[in-house]
Amino acid sequence: MDIIVILLSVSGLVFFFATTVGILRFPDFYSRMHAAGKGDTLSSLIMLLALVLYNFHDFNLANLLVALKILLIVVFIFMASPTATHAIIDAGYESGIQPWTKKPEEES
Amino acid sequence: MIWQLDLSILTLIVICAFATIMVKDLLSAAIIFGAYSFLMCLLWTEMGAVDVAFTEASVGAGVSTVLFIAAIHQTTRRVGFRKSGRGLSKAIGLVAALLTGLVLLIAETDFPGFASPFSPASLHLSPYYITQTLHDTNVPNIVTSVLADYRGFDTMFETAVIFTAGLAVIAILRRYKKDDQCELPEPYIISEGYPDTIIRFVARQLVPFMQLFALYVVAHGHHSPGGGFQGGVIIGASFILLAISYDTRMIIGLMSEKTNILLGNIGVLIYAGIGFLCLLLGANFLDYSMLSKVLPATDKVMARSHGMLGIEIGVAIAVMAIVISIYINIVSCGKYDKDV
Repeated sequence: MDIIVILLSVSGLVFFFATTVGILRFPDFYSRMHAAGKGDTLSSLIMLLALVLYNFHDFNLANLLVALKILLIVVFIFMASPTATHAIIDAGYESGIQPWTKKPEEES
Repeated sequence: MIWQLDLSILTLIVICAFATIMVKDLLSAAIIFGAYSFLMCLLWTEMGAVDVAFTEASVGAGVSTVLFIAAIHQTTRRVGFRKSGRGLSKAIGLVAALLTGLVLLIAETDFPGFASPFSPASLHLSPYYITQTLHDTNVPNIVTSVLADYRGFDTMFETAVIFTAGLAVIAILRRYKKDDQCELPEPYIISEGYPDTIIRFVARQLVPFMQLFALYVVAHGHHSPGGGFQGGVIIGASFILLAISYDTRMIIGLMSEKTNILLGNIGVLIYAGIGFLCLLLGANFLDYSMLSKVLPATDKVMARSHGMLGIEIGVAIAVMAIVISIYINIVSCGKYDKDV
């Protein structure tokens, strides 16, 4: 059990790290939001799942309830986080941010 | 307490505080301020003050950021160019600030040390609350019982302060006449929501859960962290989410100005009314133990618990109405969408 928990939380951290690198290194707004939205959702899901498993160390009703609450948080993050990313990108598109292209001189 | 975590969070908080002041772009300042609030919330959770952290997360990081952004949306993002004062006035300001700091430092030496176990509060007051609260009021959450029972008078006026803030926002922003225009830039019409199916669908799915959770926070406030303020803010935030994802008109249809002001009044009235009920029953103001005469099948201890629940509901109603009314007033430039 411990091994699974450690594996899940470490992989969540790896995805968080990738998200951060993506936000810092990607060239424009859209690709940055792409990194932030996908990486954030996945890594927080994985880490919360690790917490759920960690709760089952001694199995009783209270721990089961805590695990269920964390699972509810997982569901809500799974709904809300991609929607928020979509809303931000949509707002960016509405306000006319040009996507990055490889040849900037063709923009004009 | 993990001191490494504390230290890193505190460092980040100080950085965020300075960044909020130094940044020229007001929108960035609002976002950084939200991050600051969230870090404060983390710090408080880490120190074990979950109730305060909950308030900070819902009010500081949640609603106030939304209100700031709405206000920036209606005005401008840029900091006005300020003419730097003359050298003399700057020097006077510096001297005054240093003198005040010196006086405060001198006064501080008379206080007991920070978190000292021998301070009067830790020696006499806290042990009473910690040992006697469950016996006195049958409420496991000591913070709620201190807020709503032992110090109920304070909390009543906190609610009144929130109500007054709502009244002040209405008094400043609300424009009743069409020609009563002030010198603001032409407001961007925010009430016509951009029809995005995904955002609307998800918001529609989330709102019932948010409101259910808020009711849980209010009703369960004396057994778990939470209470009237947090629950009221969460209900208000669910309405604001609808207002953002749909349009403001729909919210005005649900919660008109009259309803808002009425609900704000009713909330404060419930609080004060419970206090007066205790007075009528022959006890002190806000001494809930006398409510056992009115409430069926309760002894004096349970009556205090129920009295707390009653005033939490009042606080929640007032806070919800005031948050919604402040948001609508800011976002519609005080016009309530009559002629946008």
